[in-house]
Amino acid sequence: MLSGMEAHRDPHPVRLLVRDDLHRRRLTVFFRLVLAIPHILWVLLWTFLVVFAAVATYLAALVRGRPPAPLHVFLSAYVRYLTHLNAYLWLVADPYPGFSGAGDEYPVDVELPGPAAQSRWAILFRLPLAIPSLLLATALGGGGQVRFFTGSTSRTTFSGGGGALAGTAAVLGWFASLARGAMPKGLRDAGAYSVGYTAQVLAYLLLVTDRYPDSDPTAMLEEVERPPVHPVHLVGDAHDLRRSRVTVLLRLPLSLPHLVWLALWSVVAVLASIANWLVTLVRGRPAEPLHRFLSRFVRYQLHVSAFLYLAANSFPGFAGVEGVYPLDLALPGPERQSRPRTGFRLLLAVPALIVSGALGWGLFVTAVLTWFVALARGRAPWGLRNVAGYALRYSAQTSAYVLLLTDAYPHASPLEGAEPSQLSFDELE
Amino acid sequence: MSARRGAAALTAAAGWAVAAWLLWRTSVPSSVRLPRLDPHEFFGPAQLRAAASFSRVSGALWWGGTATELAALAVFARFGGRWARESAAGPVGTGMLLGMLGFALVWAVELPFGVAGLWWQRRHGIAHTGYLSYLFGDWAALGGEFVFLSFALAIVMGLARRLGRWWWAAAAPAFTALVVLFAFVGPYLLSTHRLGDASLAAAARRLEGRQGVGPVPVVVERVHDATSLPNAETSGLGPSRRIVLWDTLVDGRFGERELEVVVAHEIGHLAHEDIWRQVGWFALFAFPGTLLIGLATRRRGGMGEPAAVPLSLLVLVALQLAALPAQNAISRRIEAAADWSALDATRDPAAATTLFRRFVPTTLDEPSPGLLDYVFRESHPTIMQRLAMVRAWRSRRR
Repeated sequence: MLSGMEAHRDPHPVRLLVRDDLHRRRLTVFFRLVLAIPHILWVLLWTFLVVFAAVATYLAALVRGRPPAPLHVFLSAYVRYLTHLNAYLWLVADPYPGFSGAGDEYPVDVELPGPAAQSRWAILFRLPLAIPSLLLATALGGGGQVRFFTGSTSRTTFSGGGGALAGTAAVLGWFASLARGAMPKGLRDAGAYSVGYTAQVLAYLLLVTDRYPDSDPTAMLEEVERPPVHPVHLVGDAHDLRRSRVTVLLRLPLSLPHLVWLALWSVVAVLASIANWLVTLVRGRPAEPLHRFLSRFVRYQLHVSAFLYLAANSFPGFAGVEGVYPLDLALPGPERQSRPRTGFRLLLAVPALIVSGALGWGLFVTAVLTWFVALARGRAPWGLRNVAGYALRYSAQTSAYVLLLTDAYPHASPLEGAEPSQLSFDELE
Repeated sequence: MSARRGAAALTAAAGWAVAAWLLWRTSVPSSVRLPRLDPHEFFGPAQLRAAASFSRVSGALWWGGTATELAALAVFARFGGRWARESAAGPVGTGMLLGMLGFALVWAVELPFGVAGLWWQRRHGIAHTGYLSYLFGDWAALGGEFVFLSFALAIVMGLARRLGRWWWAAAAPAFTALVVLFAFVGPYLLSTHRLGDASLAAAARRLEGRQGVGPVPVVVERVHDATSLPNAETSGLGPSRRIVLWDTLVDGRFGERELEVVVAHEIGHLAHEDIWRQVGWFALFAFPGTLLIGLATRRRGGMGEPAAVPLSLLVLVALQLAALPAQNAISRRIEAAADWSALDATRDPAAATTLFRRFVPTTLDEPSPGLLDYVFRESHPTIMQRLAMVRAWRSRRR
């Protein structure tokens, strides 16, 4: 189980602290980008200085085996400041942030380690080593964009920016915050995860720490309250990390028969969902045979995606049978559903589909990175697998919502719901 | 074997023989005897040397690739079953996984021979495909083969699980039906354009009339980016029938009269219903082939069990290799009949002779290959046989 696994792992030295209460002032939300302009100018200036500080730190650390303390303090303040700014921009926090990157001043903050000895090899190859995490940060995170300037001299800079997930959560959260005066917890958690991961990537890149960024969402949001259990959630063997190198190498062609079958099944599923929509609208609950058929379809979709994106090892069956695949889906029975929510289901699902799309990009990047790692080590990395699990779970929740298997809205939080004993995915059933 | 079974087997064998005899019949008069011709009469020493040198390496690569494929499949048949543990897909799904893994293995071990073959063809100006394009440019076709293989295995294993040992009796017609389907659909998957040469198109109409074939579209396929080899083919069934000329054939290297011989040859295939004839031969080979696969895999639980799949791939490829001489003999006979029809229709033996002579410098085909290459690799009559047929036709006309 994840918690058991975590107990054996050192906590990451760059720790995200979230003390946000989800409350948002409508006025500052509405003008968020305008209000952020001074910060954006300030961060540009700071980034300019950071480039020189980073080069100096790099050279000094290569010689001494540890970053110089004054530069470390400066770069740590920069990482902390970017975290505050990202949190503000992406509506993960509400108060206007300070300009100094001081600790303990902001509801979304990071704890950073002091200057410590680092492996010179890891310092020397820091930039290429950071590329996978930068890719993931760009897909998920709230910053860490890489800009390459060409000319007489090439250089690389890093600045606050937007990843697909954080940006999507912020745009949707903007509307929700204006309407409700509060940020939806799922979107806030998604944004917080992105901001935290970006902070870890920056800290690694700027030699604040030599610990590689940990993409595990559960570890990142360890202190954040979990959402309630969603009726659609992942179950199975959380420790199924072994990957057969041969099937990893051939993962895409091996998936092709499934993709063809899934495409054929999708055509029938669309027709079945239309029938299910009519029945649910009239009766207030889905028809049992249609519910069963569509449940199998959603479960099969999950199995195929888990295989294709390397979140699971085994070649899946073609029938979406429950309980045979190591990464499986718990789905509710044909329960009573709200008629208004049924009537406008597709319209209501649009935000979830947008988030699912954003997570899909992250899932793709995760799969590519996992492919290389699994090919080399015969194992999937825990963190990347859990990111994939998060994206797959959300996608399954969205499908289940659209296909009227449940009227519970998909929960965008990277955290799996409920009791502390429950895990990222989750119960060993 | 009981008497009843023996009688059934004899009846089936007799039926098979009658069907084979019917398909073997040809429009080439039985009295035609091909004269022995000396290649030096038609080709210069340099041309013969170049063709022999090219064929030697091509042949070595073919034999090397085939031997490696068999060796890889033998290893896979022995150890491939262990990948079944990577599946949560039930017996049929697991069989599909093993089949795809075996196919991938074959693809991987043949790749070096393919690359070497490409290098050899590029060196002789026959292929223009880049190496990267060869390796990464045709993933769609490769993916299609993965899908088809897994689909085929799903059919076989599904039938084997339902029908037990008699699965082959249903699988052979099922695969024959698939061949008919692909033969029908195939032309629609090709990217072609109408023949621009109006006089050749008019000649095609004239030749169709002479050979008793209704109007069939003559189209051109763009291949010159990949190869300089000239070729033409007849494809399709019923409304999808068409004659496909490669654009390398109509690029000016061949004269109008020579192209008419090519078109007449293809119309000859249509006149003889050769696609249907090939479907018939496929069916005749499919029955004993599937039966032998069924027998060979019984010790591994039969084709209903995933453990039998790796062995079945080895048996399939070995049977294909064993059947290749017979299939090539059939193909040569069909092609010879089309050549004869072309001569009857064009009545232009001089153009046919020029056409076949041009094939040697343009394709680097050996005019008279060695016995082993002839038996295993020649699906068409050799150039010398084709030239001999022209001479035989001419002598009958005198």
